[in-house]
Amino acid sequence: MEKIKFNLNGKDVSIEVDPSSRLIDVLRLNYGLTGTKEGCGEGSCGACVVLMDGRSVNSCLLPMANVINHKIVTIEEFSKSKAYECIKEAFSSLGGSQCGFCTPGMIIASYALLKKNPHPSEEEIREHLSGNLCRCTGYEAIVSAVILASKKGEGLW
Amino acid sequence: MVKKCIATSLNEALLFLKDGEVTIVSGGTDVMVQRRNVAGELPLHDKNVLYLKNVKELYYIKEDGDGLHIGAETSMSDIIADKRVPKILRECLEEIASVNIRNSATLAGNIANASPAGDSIVIDNLLDAKLKLSSVRGSRFVDAKDFVIGVRKTILEKDELIEEIVFPRRDYNHLYWKKVGSRKADSIAKLSFAAAYKLNKNKIEKMRIVFGSVSIKPAQNKSLEDEFIGLSVDELKAKIPYFVDSYRQVISPIDDQRSTKKYREIVAMNLLREFLENIK
Repeated sequence: MEKIKFNLNGKDVSIEVDPSSRLIDVLRLNYGLTGTKEGCGEGSCGACVVLMDGRSVNSCLLPMANVINHKIVTIEEFSKSKAYECIKEAFSSLGGSQCGFCTPGMIIASYALLKKNPHPSEEEIREHLSGNLCRCTGYEAIVSAVILASKKGEGLW
Repeated sequence: MVKKCIATSLNEALLFLKDGEVTIVSGGTDVMVQRRNVAGELPLHDKNVLYLKNVKELYYIKEDGDGLHIGAETSMSDIIADKRVPKILRECLEEIASVNIRNSATLAGNIANASPAGDSIVIDNLLDAKLKLSSVRGSRFVDAKDFVIGVRKTILEKDELIEEIVFPRRDYNHLYWKKVGSRKADSIAKLSFAAAYKLNKNKIEKMRIVFGSVSIKPAQNKSLEDEFIGLSVDELKAKIPYFVDSYRQVISPIDDQRSTKKYREIVAMNLLREFLENIK
């Protein structure tokens, strides 16, 4: 066991865990942050995506040792922001979410893209979200939602 | 009892490695899958584990007289974003996995993982990259093409780690890279092909040809590459059937879950033929 210090959703935290514990398990089991989902557990589906220092990462592949001194933001914290409101509105108005399981990861990954590139092309959206799988929508609605969010969310990212 | 070390300096990492069999974790994107347990349970490590991601001195991209140096812990995303990095390497890395994974994954990890389907090592070979392997005994430089010796087997000694990858400056006229996979993202190569040439006064001065995923390690043949040297473009074109036949003997593709021996051989040779036909 090691004392792992990091910043979780804006607060400095410290937790005694095995350094090989996966971030997703610590988020869900130790902190009760169940908005982050586990789909494939091997980095293919993106349901577990969270922000680490503003970049999208798969929390199922992150050992806690790699989180030390980094800033982690989950969907719970992100959903308090205006950027979230904008992306959520776009997803709900265009049908970008159906069963909802991929949605937290999809929204976090969409935000990470818009932060880096506020006016992405359709190709860039598809490339950036290629590590986030959705079995309901067929992606068209998601891509349209990100385009809509990029138009409506000027200055939010 | 498995010991785990979160190193914060290279020295601390090397001292931990001294004590025997160790699994080295950089970004974790391969190891965490290989050691995966059920949800909520710890990954199954059977050897001591060394975490390198907190070794800040291994995060760098810098240039000097020897070329471009990339520290082992630099993420693939940071490498892709750096315009000093050879374009062909950035393009290759952009086809590995997804943005989410590349934000954690490292080039050194992709090399050390030594998968026969590893993408970046094909380009490391193409660009004559060298690896700096370090241990408490000191450091040595090896050619990337000599690093992998089998399926997940490398020449890395038990007490060594990859400290950096060095890309010497090269002045090829043209570099070519093609990965053939079944989907655009998160795709593991069925095969890949990388090649480069330098022409001087209409004669080939340098040639590099490397095939990926068609052998246990990237397939390259120095003596065949040397046979191109001194050929004019016309002479080379006349010898294309010979080179294609010769390279067919260099690769040893297999049937597996991703593709077939036959498909791999045909596509690999088509890519080689197309590359040679387009030399001008």
